Amino acid sequence: MDRHVRRLDGALLLGLAAFVILPWYGLESGIWNGSWFASYPFDPSVAPGAAQLFLRPGFWLLPAALALLSVLVLRFTPSGEKRGTRLAFAGGFGIAALVTEGLAVGYQGWNWSGWERLFGALGDGQPPFGLGAYTLALAFLLTLAFGLAEKGRLRGDAFVLGAITIVVALVSAFVLYPLLSLFIGAFQAIDGTFDASSFTANLLDPSIWSLGCATGSGACGIAWRTVFLALVTGLGTTVLGLSFALVATRTRFPFKRLLRLLTILPIITPPFVIGLALILLFGRSGVVTQWLAVVTGFDGGRWLYGLPGIWIAQMLSFTPIAFMVLIGVVEGISPSMEEAAQTMRANRWRTFWTVSFPLMRPGLANAFLVGFIESMADFGNPLVLGGSHGVLSTEIFFAVVGAQNDPARAAVLALVLLAFTLSAFFAQRLWLKGKSYTTVTGKGDAGRPIDLDPKLRLAAYGMVVPWIVFTVTVYAMILVGSVVRTLGLDNTLTLDHYAKAFSVSYGENGIQWTGVAWNSFWTTMEIALASAPLTAALGLLSAYLLVRQRFAGREALEFLLMLSFAIPGTVIGVSYVLAFNLPPVEMTGTALILVICFVFRNMPVGVRGGIAAMSQLDKSLDEASLTLGANSFTTLRRVVLPLLKPAITSALVYSFVRSITSISAVIFLVSAEYNMATSYIVGLTENGEYGVAIAYSATLIMVMVAVIALFQLVVGKRTLRREAQTAAPATLAPASALAQETPA
Amino acid sequence: MRMVFLATTFLFGAAAFAAPAHAAGSLNLVCAADVKWCELMVRLFEKDHDIKLNMVRMSSGEAYARLRAEARNPKTDIWWAGTGDPHLQAAEDKLTLEYKSPLLSELQPWAQKQAEVSGFRTVGIYSGALGWGYNTDILQKKGLAAPACWKDLTSDKYKGEIQIANPNSSGTAYTALATLVQIMGEDQAFDYLKALNTNVTQYTKSGSAPVKAAARGETGIGIVFMHDAVAMTVQGFPVKTVAPCEGTGFEVGSMSIVKGAKNLENAKVFYDWALSAEVQSHAKEADSFQLPSNTKAEVPPDAPKLSEIKLIDYDFAKYGNSDTRKELLGRWDREIGAQAN
Amino acid sequence: MTVPLKPGSVRFENVQKRFGAVTAIHDLSLEIEPGTLVTLLGPSGCGKTTTLRMLAGLEQPSAGRILIGGRDVTALPANERDVSMVFQSYALFPHMSIADNVAYGLRSGGLSRRAAHERAEEGLALVGLNGFGERLPSELSGGQQQRVAVARALVLEPQVLLLDEPLSNLDTRLRRHVRTEIRELQQRLGFTAVYVTHDQDEALAVSDRIVVMKDGIMAQAGSPRELYEQPASAFIADFIGEANVVPCDVVRTSDGRLGARLGGMVHAIRADSAREGAAKLAIRPNAMFLGDRRPGFLDGRVLSAAYLGDHIEYEVETAFGRLFITDPAVETVRPIASEVGVGLHDRGVALIPA
Repeated sequence: MDRHVRRLDGALLLGLAAFVILPWYGLESGIWNGSWFASYPFDPSVAPGAAQLFLRPGFWLLPAALALLSVLVLRFTPSGEKRGTRLAFAGGFGIAALVTEGLAVGYQGWNWSGWERLFGALGDGQPPFGLGAYTLALAFLLTLAFGLAEKGRLRGDAFVLGAITIVVALVSAFVLYPLLSLFIGAFQAIDGTFDASSFTANLLDPSIWSLGCATGSGACGIAWRTVFLALVTGLGTTVLGLSFALVATRTRFPFKRLLRLLTILPIITPPFVIGLALILLFGRSGVVTQWLAVVTGFDGGRWLYGLPGIWIAQMLSFTPIAFMVLIGVVEGISPSMEEAAQTMRANRWRTFWTVSFPLMRPGLANAFLVGFIESMADFGNPLVLGGSHGVLSTEIFFAVVGAQNDPARAAVLALVLLAFTLSAFFAQRLWLKGKSYTTVTGKGDAGRPIDLDPKLRLAAYGMVVPWIVFTVTVYAMILVGSVVRTLGLDNTLTLDHYAKAFSVSYGENGIQWTGVAWNSFWTTMEIALASAPLTAALGLLSAYLLVRQRFAGREALEFLLMLSFAIPGTVIGVSYVLAFNLPPVEMTGTALILVICFVFRNMPVGVRGGIAAMSQLDKSLDEASLTLGANSFTTLRRVVLPLLKPAITSALVYSFVRSITSISAVIFLVSAEYNMATSYIVGLTENGEYGVAIAYSATLIMVMVAVIALFQLVVGKRTLRREAQTAAPATLAPASALAQETPA
Repeated sequence: MRMVFLATTFLFGAAAFAAPAHAAGSLNLVCAADVKWCELMVRLFEKDHDIKLNMVRMSSGEAYARLRAEARNPKTDIWWAGTGDPHLQAAEDKLTLEYKSPLLSELQPWAQKQAEVSGFRTVGIYSGALGWGYNTDILQKKGLAAPACWKDLTSDKYKGEIQIANPNSSGTAYTALATLVQIMGEDQAFDYLKALNTNVTQYTKSGSAPVKAAARGETGIGIVFMHDAVAMTVQGFPVKTVAPCEGTGFEVGSMSIVKGAKNLENAKVFYDWALSAEVQSHAKEADSFQLPSNTKAEVPPDAPKLSEIKLIDYDFAKYGNSDTRKELLGRWDREIGAQAN
Repeated sequence: MTVPLKPGSVRFENVQKRFGAVTAIHDLSLEIEPGTLVTLLGPSGCGKTTTLRMLAGLEQPSAGRILIGGRDVTALPANERDVSMVFQSYALFPHMSIADNVAYGLRSGGLSRRAAHERAEEGLALVGLNGFGERLPSELSGGQQQRVAVARALVLEPQVLLLDEPLSNLDTRLRRHVRTEIRELQQRLGFTAVYVTHDQDEALAVSDRIVVMKDGIMAQAGSPRELYEQPASAFIADFIGEANVVPCDVVRTSDGRLGARLGGMVHAIRADSAREGAAKLAIRPNAMFLGDRRPGFLDGRVLSAAYLGDHIEYEVETAFGRLFITDPAVETVRPIASEVGVGLHDRGVALIPA
């Protein structure tokens, strides 16, 4: 029994330390600075919670203090189911008290006007939470979990209960709470007062919903433009992706390896780089346009800016994702089905249309919806190629940063965008329910997929070959654009752009990082490296809980975790700014907010990958470990994790790469001190410094290739000794993880 | 117990990241000028002072939005450069701090006026007049004459050759809108803009983007501040700058200290430093050809001479006011933005 | 060598288990003596594995208590219970060597690496696998893997060893061999074992006691002999060995003893508890033989006959339904549709209370 007492003591000590020793509120200069120690513990800005009660006087801390006290009392009562119930209650009450208190009291007093009438005005407010408050919250969460364990919930497994409690708390804080803030923000005037009129005005704004282009009276609303673009992109990428999958599996196409390689590229390419390259190719003074003008005298004009340009860029960016989804589907069709059809006198054409294609239909719908959601969420390409009218994601950005500066409008636009992506997400889940026609059983399914009908093969080649040529050209453009002075105008070779971005000089103080890019480059690397392991850890822990544990609300949690995939980055960015700029949680301007944003944005992929990998692990391995006396934590560490190495690697690589390439959420969250590479490059692009922007992008791509290769090398060496199990190569893993991102 | 330990480690690790680094000698600067100029300022300032300058570049609209979002808890100490209107608006919203620099007397009258209008919550640091730059190659190839007046721009000849920023996102474009309203009267100005609209290919987000597009040959004419056009010429692009014959508006690039700045003393140091003649003389090194506000500062030879330009008596108080602004922008959205190509 | 063990008792008190709306176990009460091997037997879905997993701590009862060695373990997680388990799939950790696998539980219990490996080697010796420690599980045959799984569970000296269909992944010949080994080991070391299987031969061969389960209820518990010779129901009779269950009347014969009347035939029965009236008779296939029609035999007609080497399997149509009969008289095969008489041996006939 004594380990139960020990762990409770741990939580209790943590809670007491949090309340009595640690500074309760956030410190201006940071906890490591140490300067706060001078005025400790009686200055209200650095005092611990217990002192705040009297100093401020912060009577709003009283409920939390009572909860802590009751845990202390319960510690000395005999253990058992009854005490478990009480502990769980005390922990839950403590958390509720902290959350309520934090949300209710702001800098200048009550945040909620109703409370002022109820309790009278406050003399003082409170700054954002600091280490003490967060630690106490953690202690309460642990108490709640240990109480439930003592009650015998989930077989009395304290580790699992603790993990569930913490994951739920984190997801609530960093996925649900920001969305809630967004919703509230849509109803708020700038000073925080409730204002429903602007909400309705914004929501009914004709610039969102106008159908002018259909009736011939002007432009269409951005909502319709966005939906139209998403539909076309979804369709286009699905058709192209299917062609790719068919070419890769059912033809003797000579460049299959190249095909696979090209599908990885867009994943490691910052999103607006393709748009930039397209401008260099097809812009009015682009290479191709100029050449056409010389040859035919035809002035290409500016057709690229607007929906056509965005569409082309998205086709280049998202076709690989459709391919990743569809290759699994195409490979999943049992050859024996097709062979059966052929023995029944069907030729290849008929076999394809009557057997193979119908079996692919759910996969096609899935690919379409993924393309639809990706297009809706895309920010980088519309930003560069948008022309006069944007799409929802860019309009959100300009509503916040533009001269009009209207957070309420941004919130409304974000809600509209969210409504679209969520509908697609729900449609996908509904559509896929019980509709997987994957026919490979894994047992004795001999046979070789039949070759494609010649007509179909021709059609597929007709789409795939131009795409390959196009993609190769675009990437060549990126390389060339970075080493000539000004592409099109002055084609002299130069390394100036690289020098400007990444020059290093040796001064009297040693190495001086004189290039303009270094600052954002190192920040990006640090943040990507910090968030990758956290993403992988949290993602795999969640996957473990979802696959291996049965608890109330499990499906709701899984849904929540997957949900953040359907939330576009711009929406996340806006909601984080709205949620985390004021007490109780203030993180804007820090590196932490970037790290947290990446963790929760990339986690769905880690969870997906973890679920897929863990479903293949025999559950009796965990159970064997448990019955052999190891607890859940040891089991996770010594049995589950070593067997999940490929999944871990792919989660690490994926989140690392995505942290480097993502822009949509980041652009809201960067600050003077923590600027990221992508937002810096966007700044360069805005200023027309295409050369440096492209040089920087090319460098980022190289760095990511190097990192992936390194991972591959490390993992390649560590595959299980002599075992027949084949580890998925790390380079492909992130891509396939991306494809699995949506329930397949 | 182990779990408690792990969780604690995580928490402290997170706390380490969460700590915003306000080292003893640091200053958070929002810079709303060209990124080159911003970086130059950082280099110069850090050379002269033992203060860590954290700079983030934003457009002036973004900068104002950032200040407003952070109003209750500012992370920014000082906001340098960018067109004057948002600075005035911030002053009006009491987002910025009253401060009279000892160097105030050295400044040009328009810079001092900017300070007075705002109740000394902002000050002029440079000025520039509105105009446009055109790509000589393109106009020559199409056999077009260079437009000399605002009214020339609505000619059919320039169809598909003009870019200007969207006044919703760009202070430059708002200055243009306000200028036209002041020259022509509101209704006529909107009629004019409607006519212009048929020639405009794109309303860009950033104020100086149109002339950059013109420089690279993406468009023929970009309506911008003239110093932005000059910068393109100096960089070797085939761009010529035009001052409109009917007269034109101008901006007063400004600087404000944020109210509630965490590093107030350092902010004042930067403020006084940035107003000095010596610092302002460096602007041309960053291809910035605005007119400096310090009377003793060296004026770049390439800079457009304000004396040769017909300037209107721009009413900063009226057109910087947020109600006027909202009304004009709303009308622009309805009548122009909705019809844009 | 022997591993010193401290066999424990097991007690289920009114245990229930529900999965959502489905009730897997209805009110199970059960007592297992220390040092015995008890088999949970039943068709798939009867709740036997759920019972075992509740005992291991891998499932939690919805109601009731479970005691091991007299201590209430109902709320204890699996790793805090003094039991260990051999899994159907063996669940050997594929990334650890055999020695690491066997030492795993010892290391979890806090033993030093060295001590754990010494003990692991002893455990492997116990199942005849000394010297295999360095190999990986994938390099062992199925039977060897199975023995490693047993060794891994045994070195922890649990109060109770749980075996979940431990032989189902082995081929028929090996299965017979290994089950003998397990039984021998259990008797030699004297530990308590709970053994789950759906194979009645296996259950009969290894058990001290068999608990037959059906639809979440304990159908009958007893020694193998009791179950075979005195089945409490038609289900047991048919499940433990095959049986033809036919309706009969229990009558008092002229000598005052009880007999089961089946048509014109009266079969003497020994059951003391039997009462006069309608009942059922369970007749093993090998308790019948075929002859010509005559009084005292049942009239029948051959429907099918299959020659199986050491016996012939017949299906015979009678007034009491179709009977399945195995007849060792392989010299004469009765042709299909021939008229026959069916006679009963003394043994292999049991009366089932109605």
